[in-house]
Amino acid sequence: MEERNDIVNEPSAHPKVLVIGGGVGGIRAALDLAESRRNVVLIDKAYAIGGLMTQLDRTFPTNNCDLCTVSPDLSESGRQHRMELMPMTTLVDIQGEAGNFTVTLETAPRHIDVSKCTACGECVAKYPDWVRFTPGLDPRAPTCMRYPQATPFAFSVDMEKVEDIKALQAVCRAEAILSDDQPKTATVNIASVVLSVGAELFDPAVLDHFGGGQLANVVTGLQYERIMSASGPTAGELVRPSDGVRPKKVAWIQCVGSRGINRADVPYCSSVCCMYALKEAIVTKERFASDIEATIFYMDMRTCGKDYELYLNRAKNDYGVQLIRSRPHSIIEDPQTGNLSITYTTDEESRHLTEVFDMVVLSTGFRVQESTVELARRLGIELNIHLFAKTEAFSPVSTSKPGIYVCGVFESPKDIPETMVQASAAACMAGADLHMDLSDPQAEDDFPPERDVSGEPPKIGVFVCDCGFDIGGVIPVNEVVASVAKLSDVVVAESVGYGCSGDSMLRIEQMIREHGLNRVVIGGCSPRTHETRFQDLLRRVGLNKYLVDIVNLRDQDTWAHMDRPADAAKKAEKLLRMGITGVRKSRPLVDHTLPVNQNILVIGGGVTGMNAALQMAELGFKVYLIDRAPDLGGLARSVRSTIEGGDVSAYIADLVQKVRANDKIQVMTRTIIVDHSGMPGLFTTGVQSGPRMNYMQIQHGAAILATGAMPNRPKEYLLGENDGVMTQLDLDSVIADMPDQAKGWNQVVMIQCVGSREPGNPNCSRICCATAIKNALRLKALNADTQIYVLYRDMRTYGFSEDYYAEARQAGVKFIRYQLDDKPVVAETDGQLTVTALDPVLGRRIEIAADRVVLSTGLRADDETTEDLAMLFHVARTDDGYFLEDHVKLRPVDMALKGFFIAGTAHSPKNIKESITQALAAAGRAQALLAKTTINLGASIAKVDGNRCAACLVCVRACPFGVPFINADGYSEIDPAKCHGCGVCAADCPAKAIQLMTFEDDQILAKLDGLFERLN
Amino acid sequence: MENFEPEIVAFCCHYCAYTAADMAGSKRLSYPPNVKIIRVPCTGKVDAIHIMKALLKGADGVYVAGCLEGDCHFKNGNIRAAHRVAYVQKMLNDIGWDGERVEMITMSAGMGERFAQTAKEFTEKIRQLGPSPAKTAAGQAAVG
Repeated sequence: MEERNDIVNEPSAHPKVLVIGGGVGGIRAALDLAESRRNVVLIDKAYAIGGLMTQLDRTFPTNNCDLCTVSPDLSESGRQHRMELMPMTTLVDIQGEAGNFTVTLETAPRHIDVSKCTACGECVAKYPDWVRFTPGLDPRAPTCMRYPQATPFAFSVDMEKVEDIKALQAVCRAEAILSDDQPKTATVNIASVVLSVGAELFDPAVLDHFGGGQLANVVTGLQYERIMSASGPTAGELVRPSDGVRPKKVAWIQCVGSRGINRADVPYCSSVCCMYALKEAIVTKERFASDIEATIFYMDMRTCGKDYELYLNRAKNDYGVQLIRSRPHSIIEDPQTGNLSITYTTDEESRHLTEVFDMVVLSTGFRVQESTVELARRLGIELNIHLFAKTEAFSPVSTSKPGIYVCGVFESPKDIPETMVQASAAACMAGADLHMDLSDPQAEDDFPPERDVSGEPPKIGVFVCDCGFDIGGVIPVNEVVASVAKLSDVVVAESVGYGCSGDSMLRIEQMIREHGLNRVVIGGCSPRTHETRFQDLLRRVGLNKYLVDIVNLRDQDTWAHMDRPADAAKKAEKLLRMGITGVRKSRPLVDHTLPVNQNILVIGGGVTGMNAALQMAELGFKVYLIDRAPDLGGLARSVRSTIEGGDVSAYIADLVQKVRANDKIQVMTRTIIVDHSGMPGLFTTGVQSGPRMNYMQIQHGAAILATGAMPNRPKEYLLGENDGVMTQLDLDSVIADMPDQAKGWNQVVMIQCVGSREPGNPNCSRICCATAIKNALRLKALNADTQIYVLYRDMRTYGFSEDYYAEARQAGVKFIRYQLDDKPVVAETDGQLTVTALDPVLGRRIEIAADRVVLSTGLRADDETTEDLAMLFHVARTDDGYFLEDHVKLRPVDMALKGFFIAGTAHSPKNIKESITQALAAAGRAQALLAKTTINLGASIAKVDGNRCAACLVCVRACPFGVPFINADGYSEIDPAKCHGCGVCAADCPAKAIQLMTFEDDQILAKLDGLFERLN
Repeated sequence: MENFEPEIVAFCCHYCAYTAADMAGSKRLSYPPNVKIIRVPCTGKVDAIHIMKALLKGADGVYVAGCLEGDCHFKNGNIRAAHRVAYVQKMLNDIGWDGERVEMITMSAGMGERFAQTAKEFTEKIRQLGPSPAKTAAGQAAVG
């Protein structure tokens, strides 16, 4: 037996990064670090990683099932060998400083040996109360796995509930239950920390006017997610908790516990609830019944993320979700029916209105947990007034303590894409504290050279797991093994108990060596979870990893057919036959790899591009930073101050100086891109530069697109015709450069959403509400008597910028709402500007004489630039001209084209802090790619047999990614570096000249032969 | 025909239906063991020949199970698969076999219930249709 390697207790031969919190942010950060060759310890106090996202039903704006989106990431994290996963673990102490911390970690007893537990569920079936589960809405037999795809895929025991540990142990065939498990303490040397601890959701049970938690049909947003979820308490049926009947009218109430001044309220905005309420309303109508009435009571609809406004429009126009602008007063239950009356008022109606609903969902926001505050104290990091981790505008993921970084909701309320961006940024910063030698060849896994089996006849070994009761309890494993042992080419067939356990693996290795096997079939659980494990086994004995086939006897046979054991046994035999005939046709394959050029091209020399360049240079990479403008700085040069009062000009000047002084960065201004070729890790981009437009070629392994956006200047409201009408950007300069002039203004009118959120530019510019508040406060600071009117549609001061909105109202800034179909009118009579608008509260039109009219025009995509670059690089754009990321939720800085990353306002409108975050994230993602000396592209790639190809172009048209082309020799060629491995071309090819490796036609047909007993 | 147990081949996409089948198992949802899964990276990989060969070699019914529309990992492989299945159906109808013997089904990875449900429904449908004409034509008794 080999000793189990407990990496954590080893004194640090290799320093590590500690990631605290195993939600999506923590997982992303840990994966990024592991990918960029840093050792990571990921701890979470829960017994499975995954965090809040795994409880959600679907996520906006894609309305994908979350589990399906997140589980690949989770299983990836189970596999990364640079990553130590420690569930049920907390940090108890930290000593030292950045680069050299010593942390003490304590792991609570799980009472289950994770390496033995097969997650069969026998323990929970027999003693449902003794094994741990998450209390909540779940009225079914409690399960101790929070969700079906949990990582680690194992149970845990709640010892306080256990009455008879021996009885429980007797149930477990894997002997995984430990009666005397104790807390374990470990001391680890680490270089840096990433905090991704998230937050909890506000519990509205303290709010008496909303039923004080006593009304059955009043649920929180998260509870509603669980009710809709396929893995939830009602198995995906939307029904009311009181009577199990599907509701016909559902209401959502926004800002419950948020944006308030009452008892139990917090003043900030939680940033995600508008979108999640819209999502829940859409999914309700889409999945359950389109005639369910969905009504959302809201204060401001804050759909200011990328393309989120389109989602709002879809909810309203396509799904008929009703939006009522009101903060309801109370919910009263009818005790007979369980129905709920909501009492509310609107701007238009002075009297109380009442409407009855079947179900009410309270949209609750984020609160920092007490345990997090305690953790922050232990770590010695500062918190802001709302108890979130304090960060600065220009260093968005750094806490007050060097070496400790933060991402996700604990930094500020945010959604999943923003969390992912911040996680990659924090991982990049934390990784920079760990020195990495770029010239050091990749630490390869220690496998012997592969044996050449090409001349050998197939010699197949069949090993069938009984998986304890799970397979062996349903079917007679030995009989099944005997029935396939006779098949031709099968040299060995035996039953191996728990095939994935250490001693069984050794046994299989020994059999392979002893009998000179060259093909292996494993009958066990799903290849989704265990293929890599058995592939590694083959590699250890010098066999190519594609010579093994995993036959799914557990998940797809004995588990599903345990009620029909005889049929299950027959099916098992057939499945094994299919495995055997299939593996006979399998051939050794080489994973495609490419050498990586470690230079990076950063396009765009604004705040984003410069930050990305500096970070890459800091990490040791050679950077080409190009911009078509004569100077660095970009749009931020015309911004003077952030809302927090940060001096943007000074920051930019400092940044430019640092970039210019860095000898790893080659700055090329007045430079345009003219051509581009190559493949991920090995690109060549041609540029023309300088006054003479000299041509040169840049070799680079990756590229970051940071080309920014354009300030919008629509011809509206007399902009450009009257000097008294200006944009917020113009006003910013006036306040900074001519404060005396600004001081003299009596009345200033600001108009929001100018040129955005309307046909032509349907999206929200995100930054304008906070910018207007910032400038209003600066004007008030110059002259408290200046009357300022802000005409708005929804005030979108998400997160902590809500504080400034409150401050502005306190300072006497007046906010008047207008509708898109009744926009304000700006007119000039005898040199006097007037603004006329309908005041919804007064119910009549008002006319304001204005010294200045300031338009919040926001940003628009730099359409020409993104169009040109999209053509050159073959990358995608959104309808409104921003670059399109690979996956809006999970890969927000990666582009679909591997090796390309986006950051800043080229991705979507965002403020400086968010742009810097994304710049760091892009640098982090790029270095994860460039840190490798080679890129592994896998072996599942389409291959063309040139002799059979008729150059008919079917594959060229069929490929979803446009990869095949007809080469100089006149046949189709598929670049393995670009092939995604879907096999569409292979299926469509009329000459069958294309084969998708690992899924070749002869293997598929051989499986059919095996199934139907036509064995040769 | 009383004891006719159809052989069903299900070509399942790795990213959705195959995972859904695993989920059905982990939830211990029972469905007919007649269904045998062949894993493919995308239903777009499933060739008309694969479906036809399955029927010729002895399957009484074949279905292709891919991702929900819009969720394909490879953009539109499932749409292509649906077209191919429709094509095979038409071809089968043309030669006097039941086109219904093949079907395209979509689901997401989390839909264990749907996997079990569709497996049941499809098997039942094939049971009603009886053995594949390939078998009877060859004068063979149902293999199995």
